[in-house]
Amino acid sequence: MLETVLAILQNTLRSATPIILAAMGGQFTEHAGIMNIGMDGIMLMGSFFAVLASYYLASAALGVLAAILIGLLMGILFGVLVIRFRSDEFIIGVALNIFAGGVTVFLLRTIFGVAGAFADPAIKALPYVSLDFLNDVPFIGPLLNNNSILVYVSWLLVLICWIAVYKTPFGLRLRASGEHPESLRSAGVNPNKLKYISSMLCGMLCGLAGAHLALGYLTQFSEGMSSSRGFIAFACIIFGRANPPKVFLASLLFGFMDALALRLQFVGISSNLSGMMPYIMTVLMMVYVVVTDNARKSRTLKLNAG
Amino acid sequence: MFKRFLAVALGLILAVTCFGCDEPASGAELTVTVVVAGGLGDRSFYDSANDGLQRLMEDYGVNGNVIECKEDASMYQLQLVQAAEQSDFVIAVGWQFWDALNEVAPMMPEVKFIYVDEAVEGIDNIFNIKYAQNEGSFLVGYVAGKMTQTGKVGAVGGMDGDTINDFIVGYKQGAEHANPDVEVLWNYAGTYEDPAKGKECALALYDQGCDIVFQIAGKTGDGVFNAAAETHNFAIGVDSDQKYINPDVIICSMIKQVGSSIYQTIANYIEDGTWAGGTIWTANMETGLVGIGYGDDTMTQQVSDELKAEIEDIMAKIVSGEIVVDTTRN
Repeated sequence: MLETVLAILQNTLRSATPIILAAMGGQFTEHAGIMNIGMDGIMLMGSFFAVLASYYLASAALGVLAAILIGLLMGILFGVLVIRFRSDEFIIGVALNIFAGGVTVFLLRTIFGVAGAFADPAIKALPYVSLDFLNDVPFIGPLLNNNSILVYVSWLLVLICWIAVYKTPFGLRLRASGEHPESLRSAGVNPNKLKYISSMLCGMLCGLAGAHLALGYLTQFSEGMSSSRGFIAFACIIFGRANPPKVFLASLLFGFMDALALRLQFVGISSNLSGMMPYIMTVLMMVYVVVTDNARKSRTLKLNAG
Repeated sequence: MFKRFLAVALGLILAVTCFGCDEPASGAELTVTVVVAGGLGDRSFYDSANDGLQRLMEDYGVNGNVIECKEDASMYQLQLVQAAEQSDFVIAVGWQFWDALNEVAPMMPEVKFIYVDEAVEGIDNIFNIKYAQNEGSFLVGYVAGKMTQTGKVGAVGGMDGDTINDFIVGYKQGAEHANPDVEVLWNYAGTYEDPAKGKECALALYDQGCDIVFQIAGKTGDGVFNAAAETHNFAIGVDSDQKYINPDVIICSMIKQVGSSIYQTIANYIEDGTWAGGTIWTANMETGLVGIGYGDDTMTQQVSDELKAEIEDIMAKIVSGEIVVDTTRN
């Protein structure tokens, strides 16, 4: 029993990590008032370039760096289109996803000459981390130890993002750029600058999420391997109201549902039914957000009326 | 301008394909389009179909095309129509085409359709190829049942449906035939395109005590090999001989020669006009198109020679009907 619980929790952490990394990026753009649904595509680009660099340069660290750089470029592209040229962010997000899906397939087939998937022993994977003193702690030890390094980085990032958004002048301005850009302008700060920064940060973190998927979680690239994780990350951002610790919990909840759904198959629940659980969860989350939003609005109305 | 260019290009293609072969000219006049439900690069089912087409192009000079639907159900019908408009033969690879074929084939009676992996009955221009994957899976199940140290073996399926379950019942029966006490566990990833999900499915099985896991999930199955390597367990490949992908963890593969079955069907037509539209051909162990592969001699062999000999024996018994393998199909 305890072993099953442990296995489910380990699975939860693994499944949640790519979502956490992407969602930490997405919460920046969310705060800046940009709806970024292109995260899935940026992740996919990150995965491809991580594998490309890791394979040719024989270094996982350079793979991660390449993924972050391509994410940065995608973030700048997104920023220019949405902020400078005021294109519809929804359309641009969809376009980025389609673009990433196409270009990675094209590059995979031209550079590596394979279709579908590229796995090779020469791709350097990210290291797994284990702390010796934790090994003696029952339950917690095996749960926390022996994960890919970016799993721990993702936890650290939650803290860093929370501080950056809520405890620094940058964060205050970032939130103002989304909620009330005029006030920012009157203070002599260009809100578009902050929107650009948020878009770049989002791109970099989504690239990192892609690198984790391709070099940490697995050691390969395969077409469409982000498998809509960017959209799940988006749902988590909405559910957690772009507050990093809450977004983190929402991502863990998703990972947990995924892990639980897999184990429920062993007790005779149809996979077609259990496979829906993460998505039913999404719908419930959105209902919760709408209901609480409405409650909050009516409360403010009452206050204003009083 | 573009039309002239196209004419020259087509002329060149025709010239090249005709000079290059001394086979009867009928091959070069045939256009064969393979439409796959998923994408190439699964190193298993779809790639095998493509391989058959490539061999037809080499040996008979047919004009071959491949169209990938990437698991997008809205594309199935469109791409079949597209393919049918420009081809003599359309090969629909994947059970997913059932509805689309029922619609499209009667509308285009001059085109010959080959439906791979499932069967649509009663339409004269569809030739159906089904595979006795249960028989091939019986063999790898037998290997798993003999080789397990923990007494538990597992399987990761793509989706919970008749075709995948046909593998699973054969695998289970094979494992139990080898070792009556063995426990067979399985789960479904719900996708053929997400290796990370496949890894989690396999890890869940290894957690439960399985030490050998059979992947029946296309590209999702790549993650099974990943999980096997990470946890120092074993895995079994599917459809093509996948051992080369990771010879240290993949002990054998269940083989379903999709490409060869397509090749034979079209080659027969080119050679003497044989075409059995409206019928179902089940490629079973007797045809040699379903079986087991162990990679080649340069790779580490986990399966002992005695066990391989036992497998030969079992294959003979399946062919003779002494062993009847369970199936989800009738």
